[in-house]
Amino acid sequence: MPSNGSSSGAAVWAILRKECRSEWRTRYGLNAALLFAVTTLTSVSFAVGRLTDRTDLLGALLWVVLLFAALSSLSHAFVREVEGHTLTLLRLVASPTAIALGKLLFNLVFLAVIEAVTVPLYLALMGAPPPKWGAFLALLGLGSLALAGSATLIGAVISQTRGRGALFAGVSLPLMLPVLAAAVSGTRAQWAGGAIGAEVRLLAAYSAALLAASLLLYDHLWED
Amino acid sequence: MIGRLLLFLWIAAWMVAAFYWAPLVPVLGETTRVLYFHIPAAWVTVVALGWSMLHSILYLRTRNLEHDHHAAAAAEIGILFCVVATVSGSLWAKAMWGSYWNWDPRETSIFFLLLVYAAYLALRSAIEQEERRARLSAIYSALAFVSVPFLMFVVPRIYFSLHPDPIINPRGKLDMDPRIRIVFFAMLVGFTGLYAWLQSLRVRVARLEHRLDQA
Repeated sequence: MPSNGSSSGAAVWAILRKECRSEWRTRYGLNAALLFAVTTLTSVSFAVGRLTDRTDLLGALLWVVLLFAALSSLSHAFVREVEGHTLTLLRLVASPTAIALGKLLFNLVFLAVIEAVTVPLYLALMGAPPPKWGAFLALLGLGSLALAGSATLIGAVISQTRGRGALFAGVSLPLMLPVLAAAVSGTRAQWAGGAIGAEVRLLAAYSAALLAASLLLYDHLWED
Repeated sequence: MIGRLLLFLWIAAWMVAAFYWAPLVPVLGETTRVLYFHIPAAWVTVVALGWSMLHSILYLRTRNLEHDHHAAAAAEIGILFCVVATVSGSLWAKAMWGSYWNWDPRETSIFFLLLVYAAYLALRSAIEQEERRARLSAIYSALAFVSVPFLMFVVPRIYFSLHPDPIINPRGKLDMDPRIRIVFFAMLVGFTGLYAWLQSLRVRVARLEHRLDQA
């Protein structure tokens, strides 16, 4: 078990900076993910038109678009290392936990960028009534945290298999379904003017449980 | 041999008792008997998934491939019983609630279990090297273990369900006719025995396959 590397905050920060820098150099992953999110958004919007008075559907479709964007792009962080044959070097300089945490933070930043483009576009294209921003952003943030948390660990697992990208969506979906259920019902409730306490608690508890389990499991990711 | 014969006779005898000895529940009518298959199958699904996850975690701790054999076998048998529980539940829902599938929270959570098992087996089939397959699928299983309680217990508490309480609950079961209760628990024991037998068979096959690989 390679544990000679540092797993301190500095190492995590260095991994995050390295991820952002190498992503920024090519912007291949970001461009592909943005294009994919906008494509999904366009097909949803084109297929159903404006849904101003159907806030129940608005919440559901928003999270379907975000889920697809996450499923299509978040395995990228690890698959890129394997395909570029850079993972071995990375493992020499940092502990598995530091690598995974750095990539988790990167995935969060990545999702935030995608959402910063997709969500306003979605609200405009679908003719959505203005959401309650506090509740809406809390749901968006917690939902993204849970999505990124599950995607990071599954991405690391999937990068070591034969199918790589192809398996990722199917294998991570079961872990993302609770997020989808809670986030959709919360988003729906805030548009309807209801309380979202139960959903926020569910999302927060789920994110915390995922992160805690991930921290225990990261050490087992690589051994050969 | 004797054990298998006894298991067969046990299940067969209680199946007959379900038809000729136990009374029908007024609301459920003739469909009462689905109870003796549906709930034991769901019970075995949960036991198998728990067993699979327990051995996944044990594998991560001990790196003994024996645990991986157990985890994989339990997942395979679990998916079989999960299908039985889903299909029998769906037919029962058609008879009682009027539709085969309605995303009732309980339907959601059993479908979710099916997805977890299926993804677990898909993941296993995508990794060739034995040790790596055992380790990565154990990681997945442990992570899925985190999400199962959320769908099994939390979601049905938030959303309204038509389904009676899932895990054997003393309050609900107490108003059961004693004869129904006896047949029900006997079937529960029978299904659990059936599962234990299938599990031991599957593990023995996995052991032999492992030895064949090494030879």
